[in-house]
Amino acid sequence: MLSVVRYRDLVRALVLRDLNVRYRRSTIGFLWTMLQPLLNMLVLKIVFSALFRVALTNYAVFALAGILFWNFFSQSIVTSMNSLRGNAQLLHKLPVPLFVFPLSTVLSGVLNLGFALVPLFVIMLLTGAPLTPALLFLPVAVAIAALFTLGAGLLLSPLAVFFIDTVELIAVVLQVLFYLTPIIYPKDILPPKVAWIVRFNPIRSVLETFRDPIYYGKVPPLEHIAVAATVAIVAFVVGAYAFRKSADRIPFYV
Amino acid sequence: MSAPLIELRGVSLCYRLAKQRIPSFKEYAIHFMRGALSYEELWALRDVDLAVGRGESLGIVGRNGAGKSTLLKVISRVLKPTRGTCIVTGTVAPILELGTGFDFELTGLENIYLNGLLLGHTRREINAVRDEVVGFSELGDFIHAPVRNYSSGMTARLGFAIATAWMPDVLILDEVLAVGDAEFTRKCEERMQRFRNAGTTVLFVSHSPTAIREVCSRCIWLDSGRVRAAGKPDEVLDAYAGPTALAARRSDG
Repeated sequence: MLSVVRYRDLVRALVLRDLNVRYRRSTIGFLWTMLQPLLNMLVLKIVFSALFRVALTNYAVFALAGILFWNFFSQSIVTSMNSLRGNAQLLHKLPVPLFVFPLSTVLSGVLNLGFALVPLFVIMLLTGAPLTPALLFLPVAVAIAALFTLGAGLLLSPLAVFFIDTVELIAVVLQVLFYLTPIIYPKDILPPKVAWIVRFNPIRSVLETFRDPIYYGKVPPLEHIAVAATVAIVAFVVGAYAFRKSADRIPFYV
Repeated sequence: MSAPLIELRGVSLCYRLAKQRIPSFKEYAIHFMRGALSYEELWALRDVDLAVGRGESLGIVGRNGAGKSTLLKVISRVLKPTRGTCIVTGTVAPILELGTGFDFELTGLENIYLNGLLLGHTRREINAVRDEVVGFSELGDFIHAPVRNYSSGMTARLGFAIATAWMPDVLILDEVLAVGDAEFTRKCEERMQRFRNAGTTVLFVSHSPTAIREVCSRCIWLDSGRVRAAGKPDEVLDAYAGPTALAARRSDG
């Protein structure tokens, strides 16, 4: 992992290139990435806010925070999975450490999430939600989410090289996970029969660590943070181990 | 001779080709159930032993598919050998292809940075050689144009200029000097000469016997992944030309 230090400039360049592609090359690119979650939230608000009125006082902020988290997580994973195959030419000709591709993907995802917080804060102001000092906890929450996502990306990106339909398979899994995580609904509304699934869903703890400071204006309790951090560290260790184990074989398959 | 810079011991490398293409989970599962997962093994390198010292220039000849490029990839640390060990001491500048890793949407200058970073250098190191790279590539104002507008010769010049901007301990060239015009080839050879004088080890794959004789102090002939002959360039090239020339004569007659 010494090469993280050695290749830090490369990682930074790849992140900048990614942002460049996303924002500068299309004039409405920036607007579009902001608009997509907002429209999504708007639809959800129209459809669901009456339904969840009792449980959630400000559904718009609740849903938008959840969507931003989920977009970061799912898009980073999908892009990570495509990153090795997309750089196949390179992997055959240059001894580049392969982890730079999933790593730079997740880091540019973090920056995108950061940009997307701006419209979220605007919505908070518009809907009368207070901007509390608890928001200062967000960098920690984002770091936990990033570590978790990086772990998943490191685990899945070699798999996507060995089996081409991994991307399709994971798309379905992500779809299911989206509904098994209380992103657009409050977790208390679930019947006890299925509530345990959501309760033991590790993504939930990471999500809530991110959303609590936004929605409740409170830093989550220490034990919640500890659970989320543990989930993230375990995901990262497992992902890094799997990636390391398979890295030598990757150039043979892309 | 001091300890070799490059040392390969019993290096074998196997490309495992699935007999049936099994690129997906679904098919993998089906074949796994049937117990029909079989692979065709293609040994690109077989039991290669090689030691190259500091300042040596080693030429590598052989027919297409003999394993020359695979050998260079192993030494460049792009591919890990299936068996055996490959130890390379010092910095390596692998030029397996000119312009690898170029982003065609970026300008030449931006690609100098991207490519330098991909080669494992830091931003600061690239700042130091930037002007020299631009000079060597002779691109002039084109350096600010996207690389997609470059001719193949321009791309090659820029690629070579970046890859050789830092003097490496080991320089690896895979038939890359054949692409440019005579002037470009001369400049590249000049730079190679300068590196060699300073003690850089050069590994050189070429189909041109003249180039091998000119550059190399030693030569190996790879045949079906094995080292068939090794020694002075003249001897190895004669031996290599032998059966080829013989075969050519036979097919003529």
